[in-house]
Amino acid sequence: MSYTTRQVGAKNSLDYKVYIEKDGKPISAFHDIPLYADEANGIFNMVVEIPRWTNAKLEITKEEPLNPIIQDTKKGKLRFVRNCFPHHGYIHNYGAFPQTWEDPNESHPETKAVGDNDPLDVLEIGEQVAYTGQVKQVKVLGVMALLDEGETDWKVIAIDINDPLAPKLNDIEDVEKHLPGLLRATNEWFRIYKIPDGKPENQFAFSGEAKNKKYTLDVIRECNEAWKKLISGKSADAKKIDLTNTTLSDTATYSAEAASAVPAANVLPDEPIDKSIDKWFFISGSA
Amino acid sequence: MSRDMRRASQHLRLIGNHLHARNYHNVLVGSKYSSSFKQYLQLPNGEIGSYFHDVPLDLDVDAKTCNMIVEVPRWSNGKFEISKTEPFNPITQDIKKGKPRFVNNIFPYHGYIHNYGAIPQTWEQPLIEVLPGFKGDNDPLDCCEIGSSIAKMGDIKKVKLLGSLALIDDGELDWKVICIDIEDPIAIKLNKLADVDTVMPGLLDATRTWFRDYKIPAGKQPNVFAFEGEYQDQASTLSTVQECHEAWNALVRGEIKADGSEAEIPSIVRAGTHIRVEPNQQNDTPIPQEVDKWYYV
Repeated sequence: MSYTTRQVGAKNSLDYKVYIEKDGKPISAFHDIPLYADEANGIFNMVVEIPRWTNAKLEITKEEPLNPIIQDTKKGKLRFVRNCFPHHGYIHNYGAFPQTWEDPNESHPETKAVGDNDPLDVLEIGEQVAYTGQVKQVKVLGVMALLDEGETDWKVIAIDINDPLAPKLNDIEDVEKHLPGLLRATNEWFRIYKIPDGKPENQFAFSGEAKNKKYTLDVIRECNEAWKKLISGKSADAKKIDLTNTTLSDTATYSAEAASAVPAANVLPDEPIDKSIDKWFFISGSA
Repeated sequence: MSRDMRRASQHLRLIGNHLHARNYHNVLVGSKYSSSFKQYLQLPNGEIGSYFHDVPLDLDVDAKTCNMIVEVPRWSNGKFEISKTEPFNPITQDIKKGKPRFVNNIFPYHGYIHNYGAIPQTWEQPLIEVLPGFKGDNDPLDCCEIGSSIAKMGDIKKVKLLGSLALIDDGELDWKVICIDIEDPIAIKLNKLADVDTVMPGLLDATRTWFRDYKIPAGKQPNVFAFEGEYQDQASTLSTVQECHEAWNALVRGEIKADGSEAEIPSIVRAGTHIRVEPNQQNDTPIPQEVDKWYYV
């Protein structure tokens, strides 16, 4: 798999974009990368948005052709997650599964909440710090159901198949055995991460328990089905998601020319991050 | 004047006194994350000085403040320290078996969890027992700055002393002084050890756990502490700083002679002969990928 990245603009700036390329040609991070890298062996492609131990809230944009990864903004300002003690930035390599969609038109029978209108989020727990735009092959282990401001926002737990620990991790219970404390830390992290911004604690469905691999595979399948409806134009409401793609020739939004509209690579030195992002927030009663 | 106002005005005065630190510079030589790297202190007159000997301690027993040299910024792994053996004691990366040393990430922590550094003009002397059974580790006093900002290597900060932990590292006494940059917005709220637990709940426990466990991935036993791991209070910490300053005074007066034990007496070459070093910084050496690994101990 010959995926590479094309960076345009300086990291930590409003201009920053990372496109994913296949064989040197820009493709859509959302629609063109196959969800399954090796379906028979349960291996998935994951697009890394945010490297572990960093703060910039980078995500696959839904609104632009070929869905580059950009930094989320709020009121025109770049968004960074706060450091909640004892954590530093994001504690996983955070990203998304391509060709999935958490459908905001459908409410989940168990969480009773609608999807958050994003690709399915993935927490990759391997030892390497990944890079933005990296396409990793992962195996899935479990899933937690975050209820973020009233929407279901599944967090799939997965590991890079090339990680030394990967052969030992086959289902959710193996995570606690080999990475003791990580699931608890993950639960705490997502509950409290918006508290420094003045928001209430998030909730988890299923009392915060992570569901097992089998359940996770069902969630992924449902989100893949929702995406298929979306890309084929059959969704009740496509929420203005840009569906331009360069590989799905049977879709109305297929465009072989879209790649040539993407700007040339233009890697500029990183912009400095505001010093206020260095701060550690101590949230009492969180641990 | 109310207590808060007194504190505020004292705070302002301290910052004013501290402005001289801005006149120190540094000179970089070699490639960071390699054995060639050296960061020298440059004094206001342009000559090279020693971080160990030429930055004043500036201990103020009323304000409970002194100077600190930052060696390792929070959330980084490179084990940088003031060299004891090189003339002028530049900051270098500790080398073990020919390789630059990095601390391992101990879950849930990332790298060092404080701005870590040393208190100038102090020495934990290794010749006589300071606590029953324990001699000092032959280094300047270590300190952990707990403020909001990530510091830079070689920063000279005026810090408020809050408490200390008596780590026994490989059988040697190795105090870890807890302090905060007086310019940090939180500093005004931290006036004694107990305030740290109120304002930053969990940090002191995490600090103890971190120092206990940080060498376990390298195959060592957990570290232990004197005083059963109890933090020593501010008054006791000031005494420790004073004692280590006395030991340093004896060192630079040349009163210390090696006693044939393993400890090598530190270099006391310092400013005064107008030696200059030309900057010769090379590109950083890439940090090895294994430094990213998180250890679950």
